[in-house]
Amino acid sequence: MVVTSQLRTGSVFKVGNDALVVQRILGQKTGRSGMVTRFRVKNIVSGQTSDVALDAGEKFESVDLDIFQMKLSYIDGDTYVFMEQETFEQYEISKEDLGDNAGYISADDDYPIEITFYDGKPVGVTPPILVERTITYCEPGVKGDTSGKTFKPATLDTGIEVSVPLFCDIGTKIKLDTRDGTFVERAK
Amino acid sequence: MTSVLNARDIGERRMDIDILCKVVDNYGDIGFAYRLARSLSELPAPPRLRLVVDDLAAFALLDPAIDSGAAVQLHRGWEVYRWQGDGSGEAAAAFRARRPRIVLECFACGRPDWLEDIIFDPCPKEERLLVDLEHLTAEKYAEELHRMPSLTRSASVKKAMFLPGFGPGTGGLVMDGSFSRSRRRASSEPGRSELRLELLADLGSPAAGAEDRFWICSFSYERDYSRIVADLAAFDALAARGQGRHILVFAAAGKGGDRLAAAWAGAGKPFPLVALPFLPQERWDELLLACDFSIIRGEDSWARAALSGRPFLWQAYPQEGRHQMVKVAAFLERLRPHFAAAAFSALEELYLSFNDRDADGPTVSGRESLPSVLSLHPELLPGFKAFSESLLRNRDLASSLLTFLREIV
Repeated sequence: MVVTSQLRTGSVFKVGNDALVVQRILGQKTGRSGMVTRFRVKNIVSGQTSDVALDAGEKFESVDLDIFQMKLSYIDGDTYVFMEQETFEQYEISKEDLGDNAGYISADDDYPIEITFYDGKPVGVTPPILVERTITYCEPGVKGDTSGKTFKPATLDTGIEVSVPLFCDIGTKIKLDTRDGTFVERAK
Repeated sequence: MTSVLNARDIGERRMDIDILCKVVDNYGDIGFAYRLARSLSELPAPPRLRLVVDDLAAFALLDPAIDSGAAVQLHRGWEVYRWQGDGSGEAAAAFRARRPRIVLECFACGRPDWLEDIIFDPCPKEERLLVDLEHLTAEKYAEELHRMPSLTRSASVKKAMFLPGFGPGTGGLVMDGSFSRSRRRASSEPGRSELRLELLADLGSPAAGAEDRFWICSFSYERDYSRIVADLAAFDALAARGQGRHILVFAAAGKGGDRLAAAWAGAGKPFPLVALPFLPQERWDELLLACDFSIIRGEDSWARAALSGRPFLWQAYPQEGRHQMVKVAAFLERLRPHFAAAAFSALEELYLSFNDRDADGPTVSGRESLPSVLSLHPELLPGFKAFSESLLRNRDLASSLLTFLREIV
Protein backbone atom coordinates (compact mmCIF):
# COMPACT_ATOMS: atom_id res chain seq x y z
CA MET A 1 0.00 0.00 0.00
CA VAL A 2 1.05 3.58 -0.60
CA VAL A 3 -0.47 6.54 1.23
CA THR A 4 -1.13 9.95 -0.26
CA SER A 5 1.76 11.58 1.59
CA GLN A 6 4.21 9.25 -0.21
CA LEU A 7 3.04 10.21 -3.70
CA ARG A 8 5.44 12.29 -5.79
CA THR A 9 5.57 13.33 -9.42
CA GLY A 10 6.18 10.09 -11.28
CA SER A 11 4.60 7.85 -8.60
CA VAL A 12 2.29 5.17 -9.90
CA PHE A 13 -0.65 3.79 -7.92
CA LYS A 14 -3.77 1.78 -8.57
CA VAL A 15 -7.45 2.67 -8.50
CA GLY A 16 -9.31 -0.55 -9.11
CA ASN A 17 -7.58 -2.16 -12.08
CA ASP A 18 -6.29 1.12 -13.48
CA ALA A 19 -2.75 2.36 -12.92
CA LEU A 20 -2.41 6.12 -12.50
CA VAL A 21 0.80 8.11 -12.71
CA VAL A 22 1.21 11.43 -10.91
CA GLN A 23 2.11 14.08 -13.48
CA ARG A 24 1.98 17.21 -11.37
CA ILE A 25 1.47 18.30 -7.81
CA LEU A 26 -0.89 21.23 -8.22
CA GLY A 27 -0.92 22.43 -4.65
CA GLN A 28 -1.16 21.48 -1.01
CA LYS A 29 -3.05 22.83 1.96
CA THR A 30 -2.41 22.12 5.57
CA GLY A 31 -5.01 22.00 8.27
CA ARG A 32 -5.59 20.41 11.62
CA SER A 33 -6.68 17.21 9.91
CA GLY A 34 -3.53 16.98 7.82
CA MET A 35 -2.56 17.73 4.28
CA VAL A 36 -4.83 17.73 1.25
CA THR A 37 -2.87 17.60 -2.00
CA ARG A 38 -4.15 18.35 -5.49
CA PHE A 39 -2.60 16.12 -8.14
CA ARG A 40 -2.82 15.88 -11.91
CA VAL A 41 -2.90 12.16 -12.62
CA LYS A 42 -2.88 10.23 -15.88
CA ASN A 43 -4.47 6.87 -16.44
CA ILE A 44 -1.62 4.91 -17.98
CA VAL A 45 -3.87 2.69 -20.05
CA SER A 46 -6.58 5.09 -21.26
CA GLY A 47 -4.31 8.15 -21.38
CA GLN A 48 -6.99 10.25 -19.68
CA THR A 49 -5.75 12.94 -17.31
CA SER A 50 -7.70 14.37 -14.39
CA ASP A 51 -7.16 16.66 -11.43
CA VAL A 52 -7.97 15.15 -8.06
CA ALA A 53 -7.64 16.13 -4.40
CA LEU A 54 -6.43 13.47 -1.97
CA ASP A 55 -6.41 13.70 1.80
CA ALA A 56 -3.36 12.43 3.62
CA GLY A 57 -4.86 9.24 5.00
CA GLU A 58 -6.11 7.60 1.81
CA LYS A 59 -4.31 4.35 0.97
CA PHE A 60 -3.76 2.94 -2.50
CA GLU A 61 -2.39 -0.27 -3.86
CA SER A 62 1.09 0.13 -5.21
CA VAL A 63 1.86 -1.09 -8.72
CA ASP A 64 4.47 -3.60 -9.84
CA LEU A 65 6.85 -1.52 -11.87
CA ASP A 66 10.12 -2.08 -13.64
CA ILE A 67 12.67 0.59 -12.95
CA PHE A 68 15.79 1.13 -15.05
CA GLN A 69 18.60 3.65 -14.76
CA MET A 70 19.04 5.69 -17.93
CA LYS A 71 20.48 8.95 -19.14
CA LEU A 72 18.61 11.66 -20.93
CA SER A 73 20.15 11.52 -24.38
CA TYR A 74 18.48 14.47 -26.10
CA ILE A 75 15.27 16.46 -26.28
CA ASP A 76 13.44 16.66 -29.57
CA GLY A 77 10.69 19.24 -29.26
CA ASP A 78 8.34 17.87 -26.59
CA THR A 79 9.87 14.40 -26.71
CA TYR A 80 12.55 13.38 -24.23
CA VAL A 81 14.73 10.52 -25.44
CA PHE A 82 16.43 8.39 -22.78
CA MET A 83 19.17 5.84 -23.43
CA GLU A 84 19.84 2.65 -21.51
CA GLN A 85 23.58 2.77 -20.85
CA GLU A 86 24.41 -0.89 -21.47
CA THR A 87 22.17 -1.82 -24.37
CA PHE A 88 21.99 1.71 -25.84
CA GLU A 89 18.30 1.13 -26.36
CA GLN A 90 16.33 4.36 -26.56
CA TYR A 91 12.97 5.19 -25.02
CA GLU A 92 10.80 8.23 -25.64
CA ILE A 93 8.68 9.98 -23.06
CA SER A 94 6.62 13.06 -23.81
CA LYS A 95 7.12 16.27 -21.86
CA GLU A 96 3.49 16.02 -20.75
CA ASP A 97 4.10 12.58 -19.28
CA LEU A 98 7.21 13.78 -17.47
CA GLY A 99 5.07 16.43 -15.76
CA ASP A 100 6.95 18.61 -13.28
CA ASN A 101 10.03 16.39 -13.59
CA ALA A 102 10.72 17.80 -17.08
CA GLY A 103 11.85 20.96 -15.35
CA TYR A 104 14.57 19.20 -13.38
CA ILE A 105 16.40 17.31 -16.09
CA SER A 106 18.58 18.30 -19.02
CA ALA A 107 20.55 16.43 -21.66
CA ASP A 108 23.69 18.07 -20.22
CA ASP A 109 23.29 16.20 -16.94
CA ASP A 110 25.74 13.44 -16.11
CA TYR A 111 23.69 11.62 -13.53
CA PRO A 112 21.38 8.69 -14.29
CA ILE A 113 17.62 8.96 -13.98
CA GLU A 114 15.23 6.21 -12.95
CA ILE A 115 12.76 5.40 -15.70
CA THR A 116 9.59 3.67 -14.59
CA PHE A 117 8.08 1.03 -16.88
CA TYR A 118 4.57 -0.30 -16.59
CA ASP A 119 3.62 -3.23 -18.81
CA GLY A 120 6.75 -2.67 -20.88
CA LYS A 121 6.00 1.00 -21.52
CA PRO A 122 7.92 3.95 -19.99
CA VAL A 123 5.45 5.96 -17.94
CA GLY A 124 7.50 8.28 -15.78
CA VAL A 125 10.87 9.26 -14.41
CA THR A 126 12.31 9.85 -10.98
CA PRO A 127 15.19 12.30 -10.98
CA PRO A 128 17.66 12.35 -8.07
CA ILE A 129 16.27 14.12 -4.99
CA LEU A 130 18.86 16.90 -5.43
CA VAL A 131 19.76 18.27 -8.84
CA GLU A 132 21.93 21.18 -9.94
CA ARG A 133 20.52 23.75 -12.33
CA THR A 134 21.64 27.15 -13.62
CA ILE A 135 19.64 30.35 -13.35
CA THR A 136 19.15 31.90 -16.79
CA TYR A 137 17.08 34.87 -15.66
CA CYS A 138 16.22 36.65 -12.43
CA GLU A 139 16.27 40.18 -11.10
CA PRO A 140 19.79 41.29 -10.10
CA GLY A 141 21.13 39.75 -6.90
CA VAL A 142 21.07 41.69 -3.64
CA LYS A 143 24.53 41.76 -2.12
CA GLY A 144 24.70 41.23 1.59
CA ASP A 145 21.36 39.44 1.86
CA THR A 146 22.53 35.94 2.68
CA SER A 147 19.68 35.10 5.03
CA GLY A 148 17.96 33.00 2.36
CA LYS A 149 14.59 33.90 3.85
CA THR A 150 13.37 36.28 1.16
CA PHE A 151 12.75 34.88 -2.29
CA LYS A 152 12.33 36.06 -5.86
CA PRO A 153 11.32 34.21 -9.03
CA ALA A 154 14.06 32.80 -11.25
CA THR A 155 14.00 30.99 -14.60
CA LEU A 156 16.26 27.95 -14.91
CA ASP A 157 18.10 26.47 -17.88
CA THR A 158 15.28 23.94 -18.28
CA GLY A 159 12.74 26.74 -18.64
CA ILE A 160 10.89 26.31 -15.35
CA GLU A 161 10.46 29.07 -12.81
CA VAL A 162 11.35 28.53 -9.15
CA SER A 163 11.79 30.72 -6.08
CA VAL A 164 15.38 31.55 -5.12
CA PRO A 165 16.92 33.74 -2.40
CA LEU A 166 17.66 37.39 -3.21
CA PHE A 167 21.44 36.83 -3.34
CA CYS A 168 21.14 34.64 -6.47
CA ASP A 169 22.02 36.07 -9.86
CA ILE A 170 21.93 35.08 -13.53
CA GLY A 171 24.44 32.27 -13.97
CA THR A 172 24.25 31.14 -10.35
CA LYS A 173 24.20 27.34 -10.04
CA ILE A 174 21.72 26.13 -7.46
CA LYS A 175 20.66 22.85 -5.89
CA LEU A 176 16.95 22.03 -6.06
CA ASP A 177 14.88 19.45 -4.19
CA THR A 178 12.99 17.65 -6.95
CA ARG A 179 10.28 16.44 -4.58
CA ASP A 180 8.80 19.91 -4.28
CA GLY A 181 10.96 22.17 -6.43
CA THR A 182 12.36 24.14 -3.53
CA PHE A 183 15.76 25.85 -3.47
CA VAL A 184 18.21 24.01 -1.21
CA GLU A 185 21.50 25.86 -1.51
CA ARG A 186 23.93 27.50 -3.90
CA ALA A 187 25.88 24.77 -5.73
CA LYS A 188 29.59 24.73 -5.00
CA MET B 1 -18.20 11.18 -11.54
CA THR B 2 -20.52 8.33 -12.51
CA SER B 3 -23.79 7.50 -10.80
CA VAL B 4 -23.49 5.88 -7.40
CA LEU B 5 -27.15 5.51 -6.55
CA ASN B 6 -30.07 4.08 -8.40
CA ALA B 7 -32.98 6.36 -9.27
CA ARG B 8 -35.02 4.75 -6.51
CA ASP B 9 -32.60 6.14 -3.92
CA ILE B 10 -33.49 9.66 -4.88
CA GLY B 11 -37.07 9.41 -6.01
CA GLU B 12 -38.73 6.59 -4.15
CA ARG B 13 -36.98 6.28 -0.84
CA ARG B 14 -34.86 8.42 1.40
CA MET B 15 -31.19 8.89 0.73
CA ASP B 16 -29.02 7.01 3.21
CA ILE B 17 -26.12 8.97 4.65
CA ASP B 18 -23.59 7.84 7.23
CA ILE B 19 -21.68 10.51 9.15
CA LEU B 20 -18.30 9.61 10.66
CA CYS B 21 -16.79 11.75 13.40
CA LYS B 22 -13.61 11.46 15.44
CA VAL B 23 -13.20 13.88 18.32
CA VAL B 24 -9.67 15.26 18.11
CA ASP B 25 -9.02 17.78 20.86
CA ASN B 26 -12.27 19.39 21.90
CA TYR B 27 -15.88 19.59 20.84
CA GLY B 28 -15.67 21.36 17.48
CA ASP B 29 -15.61 18.11 15.51
CA ILE B 30 -18.59 16.53 17.22
CA GLY B 31 -20.25 19.94 17.44
CA PHE B 32 -20.12 20.25 13.67
CA ALA B 33 -21.25 16.65 13.05
CA TYR B 34 -24.15 16.97 15.49
CA ARG B 35 -25.31 20.27 14.03
CA LEU B 36 -24.99 18.91 10.48
CA ALA B 37 -27.08 15.86 11.40
CA ARG B 38 -29.77 18.08 12.88
CA SER B 39 -29.72 20.36 9.88
CA LEU B 40 -29.93 17.49 7.38
CA SER B 41 -32.86 16.04 9.31
CA GLU B 42 -34.73 19.34 9.08
CA LEU B 43 -34.60 19.49 5.28
CA PRO B 44 -37.55 18.56 3.08
CA ALA B 45 -37.18 14.86 2.15
CA PRO B 46 -34.48 14.42 4.81
CA PRO B 47 -31.93 11.64 4.43
CA ARG B 48 -31.87 8.63 6.73
CA LEU B 49 -28.84 9.12 8.98
CA ARG B 50 -26.43 6.90 10.85
CA LEU B 51 -23.72 8.50 12.98
CA VAL B 52 -20.47 6.74 13.93
CA VAL B 53 -18.69 8.61 16.74
CA ASP B 54 -15.51 7.72 18.63
CA ASP B 55 -16.27 9.79 21.75
CA LEU B 56 -19.86 9.44 22.85
CA ALA B 57 -19.06 11.14 26.17
CA ALA B 58 -18.18 14.32 24.25
CA PHE B 59 -21.37 13.93 22.22
CA ALA B 60 -23.38 13.56 25.46
CA LEU B 61 -22.05 16.90 26.71
CA LEU B 62 -23.50 18.60 23.64
CA ASP B 63 -26.74 16.63 23.82
CA PRO B 64 -27.39 15.13 27.27
CA ALA B 65 -29.93 12.67 25.80
CA ILE B 66 -27.04 10.69 24.25
CA ASP B 67 -26.11 7.54 26.21
CA SER B 68 -22.31 7.57 26.29
CA GLY B 69 -22.22 3.90 27.28
CA ALA B 70 -24.33 2.51 24.48
CA ALA B 71 -22.64 0.86 21.51
CA VAL B 72 -25.82 1.39 19.48
CA GLN B 73 -28.70 3.75 20.13
CA LEU B 74 -31.54 5.55 18.42
CA HIS B 75 -31.59 9.29 18.92
CA ARG B 76 -33.65 11.98 17.13
CA GLY B 77 -34.46 9.36 14.50
CA TRP B 78 -30.77 8.62 13.84
CA GLU B 79 -28.90 5.42 14.52
CA VAL B 80 -25.82 6.28 16.58
CA TYR B 81 -22.91 3.83 16.72
CA ARG B 82 -19.71 3.74 18.67
CA TRP B 83 -16.64 3.93 16.39
CA GLN B 84 -14.63 1.43 18.42
CA GLY B 85 -15.27 -2.20 17.73
CA ASP B 86 -14.45 -4.94 15.30
CA GLY B 87 -16.08 -6.91 12.55
CA SER B 88 -18.07 -8.98 15.04
CA GLY B 89 -19.65 -5.98 16.78
CA GLU B 90 -23.20 -4.66 16.57
CA ALA B 91 -22.18 -1.72 14.40
CA ALA B 92 -20.48 -3.93 11.83
CA ALA B 93 -23.52 -6.23 11.75
CA ALA B 94 -25.85 -3.28 11.20
CA PHE B 95 -23.67 -1.85 8.40
CA ARG B 96 -23.41 -5.24 6.73
CA ALA B 97 -27.18 -5.58 6.87
CA ARG B 98 -27.67 -2.13 5.35
CA ARG B 99 -24.51 -1.35 3.44
CA PRO B 100 -23.21 2.21 3.39
CA ARG B 101 -23.88 4.10 0.17
CA ILE B 102 -22.86 7.66 1.06
CA VAL B 103 -20.33 8.20 3.84
CA LEU B 104 -19.34 11.65 5.13
CA GLU B 105 -15.89 11.72 6.72
CA CYS B 106 -15.95 14.81 8.91
CA PHE B 107 -12.57 16.56 8.75
CA ALA B 108 -10.80 13.68 6.98
CA CYS B 109 -11.35 11.54 10.07
CA GLY B 110 -10.81 8.29 8.19
CA ARG B 111 -12.93 5.17 8.74
CA PRO B 112 -13.05 2.55 11.47
CA ASP B 113 -11.44 -0.72 10.39
CA TRP B 114 -14.70 -2.67 10.58
CA LEU B 115 -16.35 -0.14 8.26
CA GLU B 116 -13.35 -0.05 5.93
CA ASP B 117 -13.80 -3.76 5.30
CA ILE B 118 -17.49 -3.31 4.51
CA ILE B 119 -16.97 -0.29 2.26
CA PHE B 120 -14.23 -1.97 0.24
CA ASP B 121 -15.89 -5.38 0.12
CA PRO B 122 -16.05 -6.07 -3.65
CA CYS B 123 -19.36 -7.93 -3.23
CA PRO B 124 -21.99 -6.71 -3.77
CA LYS B 125 -20.97 -4.66 -6.79
CA GLU B 126 -22.99 -1.55 -5.99
CA GLU B 127 -21.04 1.69 -5.89
CA ARG B 128 -20.40 3.78 -2.81
CA LEU B 129 -19.47 7.42 -2.30
CA LEU B 130 -17.16 8.86 0.35
CA VAL B 131 -17.13 12.60 0.98
CA ASP B 132 -14.24 14.29 2.78
CA LEU B 133 -15.95 17.11 4.63
CA GLU B 134 -13.03 19.37 5.44
CA HIS B 135 -12.35 21.94 8.14
CA LEU B 136 -13.68 25.45 7.87
CA THR B 137 -11.15 27.87 6.44
CA ALA B 138 -11.24 31.38 5.03
CA GLU B 139 -8.35 30.62 2.67
CA LYS B 140 -8.91 30.64 -1.09
CA TYR B 141 -8.27 26.94 -1.30
CA ALA B 142 -11.76 26.38 0.13
CA GLU B 143 -13.13 27.47 -3.25
CA GLU B 144 -10.43 25.50 -5.13
CA LEU B 145 -11.00 22.20 -3.35
CA HIS B 146 -14.77 22.42 -2.90
CA ARG B 147 -16.54 19.69 -4.91
CA MET B 148 -13.26 18.39 -6.37
CA PRO B 149 -13.16 14.68 -7.19
CA SER B 150 -10.92 12.50 -5.05
CA LEU B 151 -9.91 8.85 -5.32
CA THR B 152 -9.86 5.64 -3.35
CA ARG B 153 -8.14 2.36 -4.13
CA SER B 154 -11.38 0.93 -5.52
CA ALA B 155 -13.10 1.99 -8.72
CA SER B 156 -16.41 1.16 -7.02
CA VAL B 157 -15.78 3.53 -4.12
CA LYS B 158 -15.91 7.09 -5.40
CA LYS B 159 -14.72 9.99 -3.31
CA ALA B 160 -15.17 13.77 -3.41
CA MET B 161 -14.23 16.85 -1.41
CA PHE B 162 -16.74 19.18 0.20
CA LEU B 163 -15.58 22.34 1.96
CA PRO B 164 -17.48 24.64 4.27
CA GLY B 165 -16.54 28.27 3.89
CA PHE B 166 -17.37 31.94 3.91
CA GLY B 167 -17.68 32.52 0.17
CA PRO B 168 -20.36 31.63 -2.37
CA GLY B 169 -17.97 29.18 -4.06
CA THR B 170 -17.90 26.95 -0.98
CA GLY B 171 -20.39 24.73 0.83
CA GLY B 172 -21.26 27.57 3.21
CA LEU B 173 -22.00 27.13 6.91
CA VAL B 174 -24.52 24.94 8.72
CA MET B 175 -27.68 26.84 9.64
CA ASP B 176 -29.77 24.49 11.73
CA GLY B 177 -33.29 25.47 12.74
CA SER B 178 -32.48 25.95 16.40
CA PHE B 179 -29.64 28.38 15.69
CA SER B 180 -31.73 30.26 13.12
CA ARG B 181 -34.57 30.68 15.59
CA SER B 182 -32.24 31.87 18.34
CA ARG B 183 -30.54 34.25 15.92
CA ARG B 184 -33.86 35.76 14.88
CA ARG B 185 -34.84 36.11 18.52
CA ALA B 186 -31.57 37.82 19.47
CA SER B 187 -31.82 40.23 16.54
CA SER B 188 -34.52 42.29 18.29
CA GLU B 189 -33.79 44.12 21.54
CA PRO B 190 -36.84 42.73 23.40
CA GLY B 191 -36.00 39.20 22.25
CA ARG B 192 -32.37 39.60 23.26
CA SER B 193 -33.27 40.97 26.71
CA GLU B 194 -35.58 38.05 27.25
CA LEU B 195 -32.84 35.66 26.17
CA ARG B 196 -30.38 37.28 28.58
CA LEU B 197 -32.80 36.95 31.49
CA GLU B 198 -33.33 33.28 30.68
CA LEU B 199 -29.59 32.68 30.54
CA LEU B 200 -29.01 34.48 33.84
CA ALA B 201 -31.76 32.45 35.49
CA ASP B 202 -30.06 29.30 34.22
CA LEU B 203 -26.41 30.24 34.78
CA GLY B 204 -26.72 32.40 37.86
CA SER B 205 -26.58 36.19 38.06
CA PRO B 206 -23.34 37.37 39.67
CA ALA B 207 -23.99 41.12 39.67
CA ALA B 208 -26.76 43.66 39.95
CA GLY B 209 -28.14 44.74 36.61
CA ALA B 210 -26.32 41.86 34.98
CA GLU B 211 -28.73 41.76 32.04
CA ASP B 212 -27.78 45.30 31.00
CA ARG B 213 -24.02 44.87 31.24
CA PHE B 214 -21.61 44.52 28.31
CA TRP B 215 -21.45 40.74 27.95
CA ILE B 216 -18.16 39.17 26.91
CA CYS B 217 -17.72 35.45 26.34
CA SER B 218 -14.25 33.91 26.30
CA PHE B 219 -13.59 30.54 24.66
CA SER B 220 -9.95 30.42 23.65
CA TYR B 221 -6.91 28.15 23.65
CA GLU B 222 -4.80 28.22 26.78
CA ARG B 223 -2.62 31.29 27.14
CA ASP B 224 -1.42 33.78 29.70
CA TYR B 225 -4.64 35.63 30.53
CA SER B 226 -3.17 38.26 32.87
CA ARG B 227 -2.97 40.82 30.06
CA ILE B 228 -6.54 40.11 28.96
CA VAL B 229 -7.84 40.46 32.52
CA ALA B 230 -6.00 43.79 32.87
CA ASP B 231 -7.44 44.97 29.54
CA LEU B 232 -10.96 43.95 30.54
CA ALA B 233 -10.56 45.67 33.91
CA ALA B 234 -9.41 48.84 32.13
CA PHE B 235 -12.44 48.71 29.84
CA ASP B 236 -14.74 48.10 32.81
CA ALA B 237 -13.24 51.09 34.63
CA LEU B 238 -14.36 53.36 31.79
CA ALA B 239 -17.96 52.73 32.86
CA ALA B 240 -17.26 54.28 36.24
CA ARG B 241 -16.28 57.43 34.36
CA GLY B 242 -19.53 57.38 32.42
CA GLN B 243 -18.04 55.86 29.27
CA GLY B 244 -19.71 52.64 28.21
CA ARG B 245 -21.18 49.86 30.32
CA HIS B 246 -19.79 47.69 33.07
CA ILE B 247 -18.83 44.24 31.84
CA LEU B 248 -19.92 40.72 32.64
CA VAL B 249 -17.53 38.01 31.50
CA PHE B 250 -18.41 34.37 30.79
CA ALA B 251 -15.49 31.92 30.87
CA ALA B 252 -16.25 28.81 28.82
CA ALA B 253 -15.67 25.44 30.46
CA GLY B 254 -12.27 23.93 29.80
CA LYS B 255 -8.58 24.62 30.40
CA GLY B 256 -8.70 28.05 28.77
CA GLY B 257 -11.65 29.09 30.92
CA ASP B 258 -9.97 27.73 34.05
CA ARG B 259 -6.86 29.78 33.38
CA LEU B 260 -8.89 32.90 32.66
CA ALA B 261 -10.75 32.43 35.95
CA ALA B 262 -7.43 31.90 37.77
CA ALA B 263 -5.94 35.07 36.26
CA TRP B 264 -9.10 36.96 37.15
CA ALA B 265 -8.95 35.71 40.76
CA GLY B 266 -5.24 36.56 40.89
CA ALA B 267 -6.01 40.12 39.82
CA GLY B 268 -8.49 40.55 42.68
CA LYS B 269 -11.67 39.77 40.70
CA PRO B 270 -11.89 43.25 39.14
CA PHE B 271 -15.19 42.54 37.36
CA PRO B 272 -17.91 39.90 37.63
CA LEU B 273 -17.11 36.61 35.92
CA VAL B 274 -19.24 33.51 35.42
CA ALA B 275 -17.26 30.27 35.14
CA LEU B 276 -19.56 28.35 32.83
CA PRO B 277 -20.38 24.69 33.15
CA PHE B 278 -20.25 22.80 29.87
CA LEU B 279 -23.32 23.98 28.00
CA PRO B 280 -25.41 21.90 25.61
CA GLN B 281 -24.97 23.12 22.05
CA GLU B 282 -28.25 25.02 21.77
CA ARG B 283 -27.62 26.83 25.07
CA TRP B 284 -24.10 27.74 23.95
CA ASP B 285 -25.54 29.20 20.74
CA GLU B 286 -27.93 31.35 22.78
CA LEU B 287 -25.11 32.64 24.94
CA LEU B 288 -23.01 33.62 21.93
CA LEU B 289 -25.98 35.43 20.41
CA ALA B 290 -26.72 37.22 23.70
CA CYS B 291 -23.14 38.48 24.13
CA ASP B 292 -21.86 41.84 22.93
CA PHE B 293 -18.38 40.53 22.21
CA SER B 294 -16.79 37.08 22.12
CA ILE B 295 -13.32 35.64 22.02
CA ILE B 296 -13.80 32.46 20.04
CA ARG B 297 -11.78 29.42 19.04
CA GLY B 298 -12.61 26.18 17.30
CA GLU B 299 -14.65 25.05 14.35
CA ASP B 300 -18.33 25.17 15.19
CA SER B 301 -18.10 28.14 17.54
CA TRP B 302 -16.16 30.13 14.93
CA ALA B 303 -18.95 29.53 12.44
CA ARG B 304 -21.60 30.46 15.03
CA ALA B 305 -19.75 33.68 15.91
CA ALA B 306 -19.46 34.58 12.23
CA LEU B 307 -23.20 34.03 11.76
CA SER B 308 -24.13 35.86 14.97
CA GLY B 309 -23.62 39.36 13.58
CA ARG B 310 -21.90 40.32 16.84
CA PRO B 311 -18.29 41.52 17.12
CA PHE B 312 -15.82 38.80 18.00
CA LEU B 313 -12.13 37.97 18.11
CA TRP B 314 -11.19 34.65 16.53
CA GLN B 315 -8.28 32.68 17.90
CA ALA B 316 -7.00 30.27 15.27
CA TYR B 317 -5.60 26.88 16.26
CA PRO B 318 -1.88 27.48 16.91
CA GLN B 319 0.13 25.59 14.29
CA GLU B 320 3.74 24.75 13.62
CA GLY B 321 5.68 27.70 12.27
CA ARG B 322 2.80 29.98 13.28
CA HIS B 323 0.96 28.87 10.15
CA GLN B 324 -2.23 30.06 11.86
CA MET B 325 -1.28 33.58 10.76
CA VAL B 326 -2.01 32.62 7.14
CA LYS B 327 -5.47 31.52 8.21
CA VAL B 328 -6.07 34.66 10.28
CA ALA B 329 -4.96 36.91 7.41
CA ALA B 330 -7.34 35.08 5.07
CA PHE B 331 -10.24 35.53 7.48
CA LEU B 332 -9.46 39.23 7.86
CA GLU B 333 -9.71 39.59 4.09
CA ARG B 334 -13.20 38.06 4.23
CA LEU B 335 -14.17 40.58 6.94
CA ARG B 336 -12.50 43.70 5.48
CA PRO B 337 -15.08 44.69 2.82
CA HIS B 338 -17.80 45.03 5.46
CA PHE B 339 -16.06 47.61 7.67
CA ALA B 340 -15.06 51.26 7.65
CA ALA B 341 -11.28 51.54 7.34
CA ALA B 342 -10.53 53.08 10.76
CA ALA B 343 -12.54 50.56 12.79
CA PHE B 344 -11.17 47.68 10.76
CA SER B 345 -7.62 48.79 11.33
CA ALA B 346 -7.98 48.37 15.10
CA LEU B 347 -9.72 45.03 14.66
CA GLU B 348 -7.02 43.79 12.29
CA GLU B 349 -4.26 44.76 14.71
CA LEU B 350 -6.00 42.89 17.51
CA TYR B 351 -6.55 39.77 15.40
CA LEU B 352 -2.93 39.70 14.27
CA SER B 353 -1.35 40.41 17.64
CA PHE B 354 -3.64 38.01 19.52
CA ASN B 355 -2.83 35.15 17.15
CA ASP B 356 0.87 35.79 16.51
CA ARG B 357 2.21 33.36 19.05
CA ASP B 358 3.28 29.81 19.64
CA ALA B 359 0.96 27.55 21.60
CA ASP B 360 0.63 28.92 25.14
CA GLY B 361 3.32 31.51 24.53
CA PRO B 362 3.04 35.27 24.90
CA THR B 363 2.12 37.35 21.90
CA VAL B 364 5.06 38.37 19.79
CA SER B 365 4.18 42.00 19.48
CA GLY B 366 2.62 42.44 22.92
CA ARG B 367 0.30 45.01 21.35
CA GLU B 368 -3.04 43.40 21.99
CA SER B 369 -5.44 46.29 21.64
CA LEU B 370 -8.49 44.72 23.25
CA PRO B 371 -9.76 47.87 25.06
CA SER B 372 -9.59 49.98 21.90
CA VAL B 373 -11.54 47.37 19.96
CA LEU B 374 -14.14 47.02 22.71
CA SER B 375 -14.50 50.82 22.71
CA LEU B 376 -15.18 50.66 18.97
CA HIS B 377 -18.09 48.27 19.50
CA PRO B 378 -20.73 50.65 18.03
CA GLU B 379 -18.60 51.13 14.90
CA LEU B 380 -17.82 47.40 14.55
CA LEU B 381 -21.35 46.10 15.05
CA PRO B 382 -22.68 47.10 11.58
CA GLY B 383 -19.66 45.47 9.93
CA PHE B 384 -20.14 42.15 11.70
CA LYS B 385 -23.87 42.31 10.93
CA ALA B 386 -23.15 42.90 7.25
CA PHE B 387 -20.64 40.03 7.26
CA SER B 388 -23.14 37.63 8.81
CA GLU B 389 -25.80 38.69 6.31
CA SER B 390 -23.38 37.95 3.47
CA LEU B 391 -22.98 34.45 4.93
CA LEU B 392 -26.73 33.99 5.14
CA ARG B 393 -27.00 34.78 1.43
CA ASN B 394 -24.94 31.64 0.74
CA ARG B 395 -26.99 28.47 0.88
CA ASP B 396 -26.68 26.64 4.16
CA LEU B 397 -24.26 23.73 4.18
CA ALA B 398 -26.79 20.92 4.63
CA SER B 399 -28.83 22.04 1.59
CA SER B 400 -25.68 22.54 -0.49
CA LEU B 401 -24.41 19.13 0.51
CA LEU B 402 -27.65 17.36 -0.37
CA THR B 403 -27.78 19.16 -3.73
CA PHE B 404 -24.18 18.14 -4.39
CA LEU B 405 -24.89 14.53 -3.51
CA ARG B 406 -27.94 14.47 -5.76
CA GLU B 407 -25.89 15.90 -8.61
CA ILE B 408 -23.09 13.37 -8.43
CA VAL B 409 -24.89 10.20 -7.40
